[in-house]
Amino acid sequence: MNTKNVFLRFTVFSLIALHSSLFTAGCSSFFTRFIANSFENLPNSPDTVAVKIVHPVFQNIGLSVLWVGHATCLIQIGDKVFLTDPIFTETAGMISKRRIEPGILATSIDKLDYILISHIHFDHLNYGSLSMLPKSAAMLLPGGGAEYTPDFGFSEYREMNPWTTFEADGVRITAVPVRHFNGRYGFDGAWLNYTSFTGYIIEYNGKTVFFAGDTGYDPEKFKEIGKKFAIDVAFIPIAPIEPHDFMKRVHADPEEALQIFRDVRAKIMIPIHHRTFVQGLDPSLTFAQDQLKRLVIERQLEDRVLILKIGEQRILVP
Amino acid sequence: MVQKRTLWYISFVLLVGMIFPAGRQEATAQEHEQRSGISNSWLLMQAVPSVSWTSFPEQTRFAFEWEATPVLYSWGMTKLVRPLHFFFVTQPERFAGSVEFNISTQLYTSPVGISHWGFSGQLLAHVPLVEYGEYGGMNLGVARYNIAGISSNYIIGGFSTLFGFLHYNIKYSPADKIWMHSIEFRFF
Repeated sequence: MNTKNVFLRFTVFSLIALHSSLFTAGCSSFFTRFIANSFENLPNSPDTVAVKIVHPVFQNIGLSVLWVGHATCLIQIGDKVFLTDPIFTETAGMISKRRIEPGILATSIDKLDYILISHIHFDHLNYGSLSMLPKSAAMLLPGGGAEYTPDFGFSEYREMNPWTTFEADGVRITAVPVRHFNGRYGFDGAWLNYTSFTGYIIEYNGKTVFFAGDTGYDPEKFKEIGKKFAIDVAFIPIAPIEPHDFMKRVHADPEEALQIFRDVRAKIMIPIHHRTFVQGLDPSLTFAQDQLKRLVIERQLEDRVLILKIGEQRILVP
Repeated sequence: MVQKRTLWYISFVLLVGMIFPAGRQEATAQEHEQRSGISNSWLLMQAVPSVSWTSFPEQTRFAFEWEATPVLYSWGMTKLVRPLHFFFVTQPERFAGSVEFNISTQLYTSPVGISHWGFSGQLLAHVPLVEYGEYGGMNLGVARYNIAGISSNYIIGGFSTLFGFLHYNIKYSPADKIWMHSIEFRFF
């Protein structure tokens, strides 16, 4: 065998080995089990929401909140309507199947002023869902999010880096730092040179709302937010929990969510980012919610931590 | 001759589409610098080759193929993002609607004539079909391949899926009756 053939065979072998090793690397235990769980759920239809509010937007209201599911919250302050991380589709990222229907139909939102996107993961920046929403809205994105955002036809797009503020028509929206991770497709986080995740503070008509998006616990960041704003309502994620050592770096569990609630010194907390999709390796859909309920009862926080049902709307200030 | 004219016509249409895209809004002051870019991890991903099977009139050959995108024009993004991209392209910038000029090198596992190598220049349009192209899109274009020193023009048709990472393209050279099937992995 001549040198050229040896070189060629070596090259071909190396390429096959490279393909195989990349595939194998992707099949780490957590990743494989998460994908397996997701595939297992693909054929199942999501549970239905018995009663869906048909007209969730009021002419004018002090402060109302409606949990659509996952991190999707419809918030109305006065005449302004805000929607966070909208997801109405049956799957996120092709394979993660919804376990319960969205609490309202996207078409029920007939007026929308602002769409807030906390980060660019499939379950938060969901293309199919964004295409269903009224085009009059302005869309706020985390820093760098524009590179992952096709033009949906909204009236305005704005990237928000931490501690920058968007002001229009009396509304102030400030991006605040949270703790999560970059990228949309996994490995692309390795070459993104900016922080593509954020929380938001909405201020309007004397009301202040904190939307934490998807975050792990970081005492410095949340205490700083608590010092700067007098928050009325805080939407704080509580899942996924398992595998705990892996998740806790980027996802708050119920205990940590309550700590965030204390740190930001909000009056009311509404848990989000649970009960809707397969969450990490959590053993059941209500795993995080059950833990939170226990903690809330132990600490007598029932009147301050509102655990909403999917599709439930509360008028906090008439 | 007619086939050559057809190829030139398709190239012309794609180039015109690249230079004068309909409905493209002018970039504004909000436009920002591209902040993600070439890094070691990105370079490592580019080392992952695509694979192709080429059916010449008398033989079929398997090849590994590496692509690079010297320039891509994206028309599917918001006005916050510049439409022109050089080498580094995020997945949405490609799959949400774009025309790219890319170059590739092929390494054939068995020799074609006296060489293992092929090279190409391709003008390829990506048309979004499902979820702005993230779940599915169509590829159309033209290419010129030089395989083992012989050049041929190809027309390209195919589709992409899996967030724009996986492309299946069929390339055909009408003049030389060569079919090429390629499974391409496009990572940014």
